[in-house]
Amino acid sequence: MTDSGTLPSHRVNIEFLGGESQTISVAEDESVLAAAKAQGVPILHQCESGSCGSCIVRLTSGELVMRSDVAASLLESERAAGMRLACISNPKSDCNIELEYASDAASLKPSKAVVFLDAIEWIAEDVVKLSTELAEGDWLDFQPGQFVQLQVPGTDAYRRYSMSSTPAQIPKLEFLIRVLPDGVMSNYLRNEAKVDDTLMVEGPFGSFFLRDNARRAPLLMIAGGTGLAPIMSMLDSIRGRSGLKPRILVSFGCASMDNLFYVDELDLRKDWMAGLQTRISVDRGRSERDIVIGNPLQAIGVDDITEDTVAYLCGPPPMIEASYAHLSQLGVRAENMHAEQFIPS
Amino acid sequence: MSEIKAVRRRANGENSARRNDAKTQSSYQPYIEAEWGFINHWYPALFSEELVEDQVEGVQICGVQIVLRRVNGKVFALKDQCIHRGVRLSSKPMCFTKETISCWYHGFTYNLESGNLDTIVGNPDDKLIGTTGLTTYPVEEVAGMIFVFVRDDDFADEDVPPLSHDLPIRFPEWSETFPHPLWPATPSILDEHAVAHGIHRTGEANWRIACENGFDNAHILVHKDNSIVQVNNWVLPLGIRPASADCITTFEEDGGPKGLMQWLFTDRWDPVLENKELGIKVEGVNSRLYRTSVVLPGVLMVENWPEEQLAQYEWYVPITDDTYEYWEIIVSNCATEEEKTAFKYRYDRVFEPLCVRGFNDCDLYAREAMQDFYADGTGWDREQLVDTDVSPITWRKLSSKHNRGIAQPPPGVQGKVKASSIRLKNLSSGRAPGYLVDKIDD
Repeated sequence: MTDSGTLPSHRVNIEFLGGESQTISVAEDESVLAAAKAQGVPILHQCESGSCGSCIVRLTSGELVMRSDVAASLLESERAAGMRLACISNPKSDCNIELEYASDAASLKPSKAVVFLDAIEWIAEDVVKLSTELAEGDWLDFQPGQFVQLQVPGTDAYRRYSMSSTPAQIPKLEFLIRVLPDGVMSNYLRNEAKVDDTLMVEGPFGSFFLRDNARRAPLLMIAGGTGLAPIMSMLDSIRGRSGLKPRILVSFGCASMDNLFYVDELDLRKDWMAGLQTRISVDRGRSERDIVIGNPLQAIGVDDITEDTVAYLCGPPPMIEASYAHLSQLGVRAENMHAEQFIPS
Repeated sequence: MSEIKAVRRRANGENSARRNDAKTQSSYQPYIEAEWGFINHWYPALFSEELVEDQVEGVQICGVQIVLRRVNGKVFALKDQCIHRGVRLSSKPMCFTKETISCWYHGFTYNLESGNLDTIVGNPDDKLIGTTGLTTYPVEEVAGMIFVFVRDDDFADEDVPPLSHDLPIRFPEWSETFPHPLWPATPSILDEHAVAHGIHRTGEANWRIACENGFDNAHILVHKDNSIVQVNNWVLPLGIRPASADCITTFEEDGGPKGLMQWLFTDRWDPVLENKELGIKVEGVNSRLYRTSVVLPGVLMVENWPEEQLAQYEWYVPITDDTYEYWEIIVSNCATEEEKTAFKYRYDRVFEPLCVRGFNDCDLYAREAMQDFYADGTGWDREQLVDTDVSPITWRKLSSKHNRGIAQPPPGVQGKVKASSIRLKNLSSGRAPGYLVDKIDD
């Protein structure tokens, strides 16, 4: 038990998916995550500073306040729906919080490893597909949708990227990386990266991964830009698993035709999965084939939603924010929306 | 672990090299991965007469070992691999009650209906009892054939489709879509008066090679000397070429079989009668009019074959990745005992010796002849296909999209380790790898 001295403690009950729950004691000036770690309750986390979003929880009763002195990545719409980031949240009363995963989800403990670069392919004007392989003796497991940190060679800088490959492909790890005009990883990829380079990798992290609890529910996946990476991992994992496959609608958008990638890859998945539909959009400029002008969210209407639709959203913060609002309005339940924000860096 | 010490992995075996190779990623990549077959489908397991009351038999389908037992007329199917030490229950059947089957080795006793571990003969208070069990497989019995739904261990009961979804399309309900002006509605084994006679035997090839042979229109060359052809004075064309983009129609609607129909003997296919280069010309073509279709998980129907108002069905049931059980049946509707007797007589005297064996024996050796080319996986890249191969290509795409799962190389079953001492011992004593369990002789 932690002892905070002067400030009172509250009982916070943590409910995992599947019904298991554990109660911890948290002082008013202590974060729920810190208390959970100290008391051995497995909440997924990574940065512990309010930015990565891994430690997201849902408050169902009580008062749980996020610190106002840090810039949290939680969206206003998420906060209003009861979401909190456990690493920067302090209880003001006894609380009940829910997690979207089972208590064994955090059993994949992050570890460090080395990867070799197998290939660096430019698949759009500003997107690189990075193919890597774990070094002999190294291993790193993950769930489809999760991310790792890659260290930029020769620097102390780490950047977060989701795998576009599946756990079944380990020791191969693939990433879809947006290359910015400037930035340490971007500059490395553009100017220096070559086959057989080694990079440090640490992971897995993140609570954005394919849920196993609703195997029959139709899936709606909305991806903006390289936010497609974790979606590809999920799609290929669903194809590889046993049992009936759910109906899946993927709506994928990029800024323009020059930024668009993986149209052929998505077409292939349609050949491989009878229940998969895709919609592809670009924000502006010309388009071709079935590609529409607009954003991936506009492509989704009420006919695409059922009461048990499970949505996976991955892209820039404004897209996530708009998706929450739009999909809630269309009738997707808040607990069935899973999101990951991609912030270029 | 440090950056300096990191070393490259050795290239590890054939699988990682080919599975995700971008070059081989094509629209039918899942088909190429389906070495052990498509799982979560209905397959024939035995003829009804091969499993009499109280009999126990063991088979292997898609790498899944399955034990069947008939009790009070009803057939039950369980995974044939004791949870305790993995032996096959069927290799030395032991049943103490009508409701159970026991493992002959340590007495683990399973409920036939639920698969649950009900008791252990010599250890009735063990904590394991009631907590675990064997996967069960749904069973249907029609027209003298026992069908089993071969599924993944976690495939839910409520998701099991009806048998009709994994059988050829039926007539007359499909007559409008696929008109057959040259013959009456083709019989189906699901028809009320259907009678099926046939055989099943083990072929030494991958099931996909066998299946593609079944509806490959370019291979009639191998059949030109067959007795059934000669005795009927049929004169076959040299080949049949696709003459139109709509020479094949796929059917992919929900709630029914997924497959393809070939519009044979319409103007969408051209018989080839002459090869000038070789100076060969066929005069007076006079061959039987038939039509082939194939549905998932690999079921061929040859309509109007080998005679009027008959159909031949074939299955190429994967046993391992290099053996398959070849099923050939001829279906007829026999409303009366006289019709049944007459059909059985003609089957025994004509169809089995001249068609099911004589004619199709050529297919068996043709598939075996292809096996080495495809066995190490490189054949799928190296084959150079021509326009008559539109049939297998369409099938590969269709089955890639609509299969209910790709069977994984199964843990701990016969035939996975190719050069195991047991396999070699059996071979050296004259027993080829087979479909039925090897019973223990004592």
